[in-house]
Amino acid sequence: MNELLREYLPVLIFIIVAAGLSGIMVIASLVLARQKPDSEKLSPYECGFEAFDDARRQFDVRFYLVSILFIIFDLEVAFLFPWAVSLSNIGMFGFWSMMIFLGVLTIGFIYEWKKGALEWE
Amino acid sequence: MWEITLTHYLTVAAILFTIGVFGIFLNRKNVIIILMSVELILLSVNINLVAFSSFLGDMVGQVFAMLVLTVAAAEAAIGLAILVVYFRNRGSIAVEDLNVMKG
Amino acid sequence: MIVQALSFYVFAAVLIVSGVLVVANRNPVYSVLFLILTFFNAAGLFVLLGAEFLAMMLVVVYVGAVAVLFLFVVMMLDINFAELRQGFVRYAGIGAVVGIVLVAEIIFVVSSGAMSPAAGALGGSPMPAGVTNTEALGNILYTDYFYLFQAAGVVLLIAMIGAIVLTHREREGVRRQRIAAQLARDRRSVEIKKVPTGTGI
Repeated sequence: MNELLREYLPVLIFIIVAAGLSGIMVIASLVLARQKPDSEKLSPYECGFEAFDDARRQFDVRFYLVSILFIIFDLEVAFLFPWAVSLSNIGMFGFWSMMIFLGVLTIGFIYEWKKGALEWE
Repeated sequence: MWEITLTHYLTVAAILFTIGVFGIFLNRKNVIIILMSVELILLSVNINLVAFSSFLGDMVGQVFAMLVLTVAAAEAAIGLAILVVYFRNRGSIAVEDLNVMKG
Repeated sequence: MIVQALSFYVFAAVLIVSGVLVVANRNPVYSVLFLILTFFNAAGLFVLLGAEFLAMMLVVVYVGAVAVLFLFVVMMLDINFAELRQGFVRYAGIGAVVGIVLVAEIIFVVSSGAMSPAAGALGGSPMPAGVTNTEALGNILYTDYFYLFQAAGVVLLIAMIGAIVLTHREREGVRRQRIAAQLARDRRSVEIKKVPTGTGI
């Protein structure tokens, strides 16, 4: 096993322990506990009164726009990580390359600001 | 058996690609599942690129995988935006209803 | 070696099973959750291949953003999902035939192909020794692949503008916040009245 994967061995052990423990909990509660389900026990509990409506209710479209803009800026930040790590190796050209990239995305940011996509009303 | 070669990774990617194509075939009613199938196909492409990059010792594959990741995210964003607008106009997301522009 | 092989098989098996469940699930919410599981296992495969940075990006970008976006859309559209599954069985036969033929062909090509030993030397940027994966990626992405990097920026810009153009609507009759106007208000724009007790205005 090479050096890189040796560093990830604790993560693997962690995943195995987490999966095993949660699996044991679910299976043990299925096997050991007394199961007598009825419709009252299985109904959703909302502080003693009847549930108002289904949990799967519709969202507003405005959440969608916010999450799209989040994806775009998430990717922008993803591109920043290797740049920050290797900035000392890539010189001025690498620096300005990233500045152009950020400038292009800033155009989009100004556009959405002017368009009012970030406002909540 | 215990030696993982390039072929193993390429086989996994091939199966995943086929699952994606299969999903596009099967779901004639639901555009969301079709978009998810496209994501699976792009993921299998990424597995191919990274596997070749790792086994040939060449970084270009990972650079390209990074760009595929970007394009996939942009594709999901635009595709879902079109889906939302389409649902607003037609009240349905079935593929069979996408025939307004048919002559 | 054996741990590596075992984790490869586990990751690959869960990847494929959850990939099938993405396609075959009845409820799109579960499909999205299995899509997340698929991406997690693909990230595991990437770590096994030594591409740590891409593995983490897969978790951050896909699980953190794209899957959440899919979930939003599934929640946003109020659709009768049971109805959407009609026709599944009708196309399953031909789909299975096409799929099996396709995967058999690909595996045949992949496993029968041979690679020249010199192929590795033909690549543009050999993997440097002694630096981390993230640094190796950063050393070439911004300089050697300048145009591709800028193209990625333009793709993101177009995605952003396209999403706004498609989904943003001006709403009528909404009072927006105008911070400049609100801050510019002073004493003269407010009328102060003394109201005697018990009379009203």
